[in-house]
Amino acid sequence: MHFAPDPLSLLFLLLLLPQVVAAAIAGMRASPTYWVFVAGIFVALLAADAFTLIFGFELMSAASWLLVLRGDRKPATLYAATAMFSAACLIPALFIPASGLAFLLIFAGAGAKAGLAPLYSWLPLAHPAPPAGVSAVMSGGMVKVALYILVRYAFIVLAPAAAPWWGILLIAAGAVSVFIGALRAMLETEMKTLLACSTVEHVGLISTGLGIALYAKAMGDVTLAALAMQAALLCAVCHALYKPMLFIGAGVVKQTAGTTSLNELGGLLRGMPVAGFCCLLGAAGMAALPLGPGLAPILLLLHAIMSAAGTGGILSRIGFTALLAVLGMAEGLALGAAVRFFGIGFLGRPRSLRAAAAEDSGPAAKLAMGFLAVGCALVALLPGAVLSLMQPVVALLIPGAVFTTLGYQPLILLLLLAFCAIVLLGVLYNFATRGEREAETWNGGFGAAPAWLPFGEPATQPSATGFAEPVFRAIASTMLPRGGDAGEILLLVPLARLNLRLIRLAEYVRRATLRQRLAFVFAALVMFLLALGLITSR
Amino acid sequence: MILLLLLRMLATLVHAGLMFALAPLLLGLVQKWRAWLLGRRGAPVTQPYRDLAKLLRKTPLIPEMATEYFKIWPVLAASAMSVAALLVPGFCTGLLTAGQSDFIVLAGFLLLARASTLLAGLETGFGFGGAGAGRDLLFGVFSEAALLVVILGLSLLAQNFTVDGVAVFFGSGKVGLSVSLGFALAAMLAVAVTEAGRIPADNPAGHLELGMVHEALFLEYSGKFLALFEYAAMLRLLVWFCLISTVFLPFGMARATDFWCWPVGVVWWGVKLALMSLALALFEVSTAKMRVFRVPAFLGTALLLGVLASVFLFVASRIGG
Repeated sequence: MHFAPDPLSLLFLLLLLPQVVAAAIAGMRASPTYWVFVAGIFVALLAADAFTLIFGFELMSAASWLLVLRGDRKPATLYAATAMFSAACLIPALFIPASGLAFLLIFAGAGAKAGLAPLYSWLPLAHPAPPAGVSAVMSGGMVKVALYILVRYAFIVLAPAAAPWWGILLIAAGAVSVFIGALRAMLETEMKTLLACSTVEHVGLISTGLGIALYAKAMGDVTLAALAMQAALLCAVCHALYKPMLFIGAGVVKQTAGTTSLNELGGLLRGMPVAGFCCLLGAAGMAALPLGPGLAPILLLLHAIMSAAGTGGILSRIGFTALLAVLGMAEGLALGAAVRFFGIGFLGRPRSLRAAAAEDSGPAAKLAMGFLAVGCALVALLPGAVLSLMQPVVALLIPGAVFTTLGYQPLILLLLLAFCAIVLLGVLYNFATRGEREAETWNGGFGAAPAWLPFGEPATQPSATGFAEPVFRAIASTMLPRGGDAGEILLLVPLARLNLRLIRLAEYVRRATLRQRLAFVFAALVMFLLALGLITSR
Repeated sequence: MILLLLLRMLATLVHAGLMFALAPLLLGLVQKWRAWLLGRRGAPVTQPYRDLAKLLRKTPLIPEMATEYFKIWPVLAASAMSVAALLVPGFCTGLLTAGQSDFIVLAGFLLLARASTLLAGLETGFGFGGAGAGRDLLFGVFSEAALLVVILGLSLLAQNFTVDGVAVFFGSGKVGLSVSLGFALAAMLAVAVTEAGRIPADNPAGHLELGMVHEALFLEYSGKFLALFEYAAMLRLLVWFCLISTVFLPFGMARATDFWCWPVGVVWWGVKLALMSLALALFEVSTAKMRVFRVPAFLGTALLLGVLASVFLFVASRIGG
């Protein structure tokens, strides 16, 4: 085992460290499996040779499988199968010479582990299963390790054989993940599943950035490649801060309200102001709202796509314009998912008695979320500083990279926003009536609820499903296959059917009578001789 | 150097003053045009000011089911919209905020204002708010995509990602009339009409809660908090008008560093806003409100036009160059 950190591995190490610490604080520190999982991550990141890398990666997979298994048995099987597929692709890829085949294997192996389309269906099932701390590190960290392998091999190890189609493949897989992830995040009703779907979306965004960087690097446009690479890495950094925070918040909800189903929650903000505030901050990052942690990477990515559309021929113009349209729709859906996560879960009336009685949990989870929230605020307000810290990494991945300065300065915009808010509040203070009166909720003129319903009739409040109904009716019911997940229906179900057919065939062969077997051997012999005769007679 | 900076600062202050003072007047003007076109006399153009003053005088009611954030959403929505109003160029280009006026940042602030309005709609857990928020989100999915694609075409033409840069480029007269710009204009108009909550996507004068989209979100608000939401809606209309006029009606815009052309710029700006409000009123009286589930098709057409504009711009630049 050899270790040799370079700027790339240090960057990923640094972006993983906060969430590992936060998850440990939040309650995972007593679990030995968790520490094996973390050790696997660190070994994989610091590895100097392919053997150490794959050892760490598989250690991480195995430990996380145990952790998933403890939460839920059903997704654990699918998760193990995906991990095995990923290993089966990665292990040969690490040892064959640089070529298109090696990249394809890396893409399939690392992509399956990162939750990139088409092999993403396991992620929304497996990530919510374990306790919140592990979900946080799986969603915020483990997918990053897979992306780290993708970056290291696509940009450094296999760089001599790089071709533009590698980038296009990554962009296509990324765009599909972004759209499906955002759409499913908008439609899911379980908080943790919603967050996991949003992870699929963000992995897609990172992959799109990496794909543009790879494409531009192969075409020799180092400015664009650097811009897209900055977008992808900054997106990874931001996602590694707010997603674990949201998962830990969902864990607190699970602990105190007994469920994470949005259809049974509501009004949580009253009982849990700290977790509520952190979730609001995280949701702002998820929706890429300005002054939140999510806008700077999206801004860079959109600029990269626009610049890419301006170079190259008509096909690249059409392709990148379509990509921009897809990302725009996904951005709208991501806003919907974030509004739904916070608005249905934390605002409004409680939908169950346990939701009404929910309280902030002990100091551990608060400390963990506060720690990540400070990180989020720093990245949100100083994206320029983070980008300048990343410059050695980008220069390592893209030799001769030319950097453009980031035009977005959140500090100035924050000052502007504060100024506007103060002026508005000043106007209200001086010219408006100062009194306020608490009144019964008007609720469209409905009569008051009877005394045995302290929070009003629950059915008069829109549920999470009802809230997403317009989007479901207009988009999901026409674009996605009926009955759920596209990746499952288009890929996993046919695979399972093929598996069944093969098993039946094997069973038929096993049960064949002696006569059938002899006939088969005889037919095979005749065919063989026939083929031999045809070849030799030519 | 210092003098130029002072001039730009003064221009920014004048711009801010004009935007914040005239936003209600613009809405009053649209309503007046509409009334005239329908053959009525209509309320005076200053009616929105009176409405705001009336709301400020009234005691706000706080629903008992509201959380602590109930009062934060209107302030956040109005402030985010104010920042957007400061970023977009009005009567002149070269404001102090020009460097920050990235199209995507501007779209982000519009999104922030919308997000806080949506959360306000979910705040008290009443039926209309949730239904309105769900519908608004559906519109947002398509309008966001269409807006981004239009921005792509404009930024590539101007080789600049900021609104100010695009305004300067279009104002310099280097751009002729073309089919692709017509497509981009149509797409942007569709997005603007939807985002500002006008007919055909939503009826601002409607009183039936079932058909409401934007109004339904703040039905539980009253008094000064409702005034903030109303003011944010007025600012949103003005911001969209400014955005469209800087790109598609670029003539007569002043430069912040040239003091003597400011009055001309202000006059032109006023004329353009008056004409655009007339156009909006004409469009509104000549069409009917759509069913909610027709709006995605309307915006999908806008998205398609935006994509076509981007592709045609490429073809035109290859043929022209």
